[in-house]
Amino acid sequence: MYYLKLIRRFIAISIHETAAYRSNFWISVLNALLELGAGVLALVILFGQVETINGWTLPGVLALLGVYLTLGALRALFIGPSLEALAGMDGEVWSGKLDFTLVRPVDVQFLASFRTWRPLKLLDLALGLGVLVMAVVQLGYTLTFADMLTFVIVLAAGLLILYAILLAFSGLVFWSPGFLFTWLFDAFFQMARYPVGLYPGWLRLVLTWVIPVGVMTTIPAQALLGDLSPLSLLGSLLVALIFFVGATVIFRTGLRRYASASS
Amino acid sequence: MNFRGGWALIRATWLSWLQYRSFFFLLAFGWMIPPLIYLFVWSTAAGEGTIGGLTRGGFVAYYLLLILVNQLTYAQTNWTVGDVIRYGGMNTQLLRPLAPIFDTLSSEIAGKVVYMLFVIPVTVLLALILRPELHIAPGAGLAFIPALGMAWALRFLWGYWLALLAFWSARADALLALQDTLTFLLAGQVAPVMLLPGGIRTAATVLPFRYMVSFPVEVLMGQVHGAELWQGLALQAGWLALALLLFALVWRAGVRQYSAVGG
Repeated sequence: MYYLKLIRRFIAISIHETAAYRSNFWISVLNALLELGAGVLALVILFGQVETINGWTLPGVLALLGVYLTLGALRALFIGPSLEALAGMDGEVWSGKLDFTLVRPVDVQFLASFRTWRPLKLLDLALGLGVLVMAVVQLGYTLTFADMLTFVIVLAAGLLILYAILLAFSGLVFWSPGFLFTWLFDAFFQMARYPVGLYPGWLRLVLTWVIPVGVMTTIPAQALLGDLSPLSLLGSLLVALIFFVGATVIFRTGLRRYASASS
Repeated sequence: MNFRGGWALIRATWLSWLQYRSFFFLLAFGWMIPPLIYLFVWSTAAGEGTIGGLTRGGFVAYYLLLILVNQLTYAQTNWTVGDVIRYGGMNTQLLRPLAPIFDTLSSEIAGKVVYMLFVIPVTVLLALILRPELHIAPGAGLAFIPALGMAWALRFLWGYWLALLAFWSARADALLALQDTLTFLLAGQVAPVMLLPGGIRTAATVLPFRYMVSFPVEVLMGQVHGAELWQGLALQAGWLALALLLFALVWRAGVRQYSAVGG
């Protein structure tokens, strides 16, 4: 339970850091609410003009938005900032500060994934879950326990895929320091707030097979809507497993190439 | 005003920025995505029919133009002004025989050139794939030029005075993020302004955000004409004057109370 204790410490330190900027806090709260409002409003405006879009109704797309926001919040809570500190702009790989991280008596992948937290993003998480509840209410039927369980499982699989992709992209930085691979991913991830079927064929292929945002958000949303096939459930778990193993291999292979920054 | 010095600074900044092309191309790619998502959403929604008088091809044309204008007017340099003040980098700038706004302006212009090297080819490629429908009336083309110029100046100055608030508050970033959210909602990104529901539409017409991005596009596409056009241009000029005034006031007061940090 050494690792859990470490995570607790990391969170505590992050809270102290955040508390130093108070006025920024209130504006962040306002911004989170406004962003949520903008996201929901975007759907309301769209469905004010059309009844369905590619077979998706308002509650369906709302559920998808909820999944997207929840995943995004979890990512921004710790995965994003932690990996960013490693491989982002002026990250440790680039500046050579990774030397000091490497000598610590903890697994590097663990440290790279859980080190930095943004406690403010808990609010985003709450808002994302709120949208999910709103969607379920709009759908107007009661979820069974099995539905909920399936939803949580595929959502966890989605989170694992998200983590794996970010980890793999961070690992690629060892080959090409300075290139911000995660930014490239961010651009594609934004597309996950709408059903993949909305995009033209060539883009749909990319979003299904190269960067599987469909598996991350569309499948959990389908689980909530109650039209998830067992095959999708199995597939999403399998994809998650493959991505996680692959990303770990990429990251660890990359780490071995690390030769610090000075000459 | 030392214009020769200003020009030398612009040239130097531009040349140094060109060395980091791939970084800036990546940034530009990220900024293209949100309007691109709504391009797909609305053109799929329009299908074979029309929404608010726009066909599928009309939406494509609107959003491709919006991508270009958004990129031209996006004042990304405002994000760095806060850091320059916070970390004491303002010291060097204040010692030069040039107003520090020239530093920001030079990165601004340098950035625009670099971004356009990426955005124009990509937009042309997208236009070839997605087949926009665009008919430009000669008058509209003429009115587009001042509308675009003022849109850029307004967005730049507006962001600049907000960023200068870093003189007092340690972090003005949240305010800039807030501004981005409002721009997303009210400046024709989430939907063309004329498709927004009643109250929001009025807000969009009165507030400055529309005049930073979508107004020139609406002018070029002939969505605003006659009295509405003149009214829009007048409002745009009014907001620009206010932005200029606020910048002058905040700058004066801020510089007087500035004291550097660090050594």
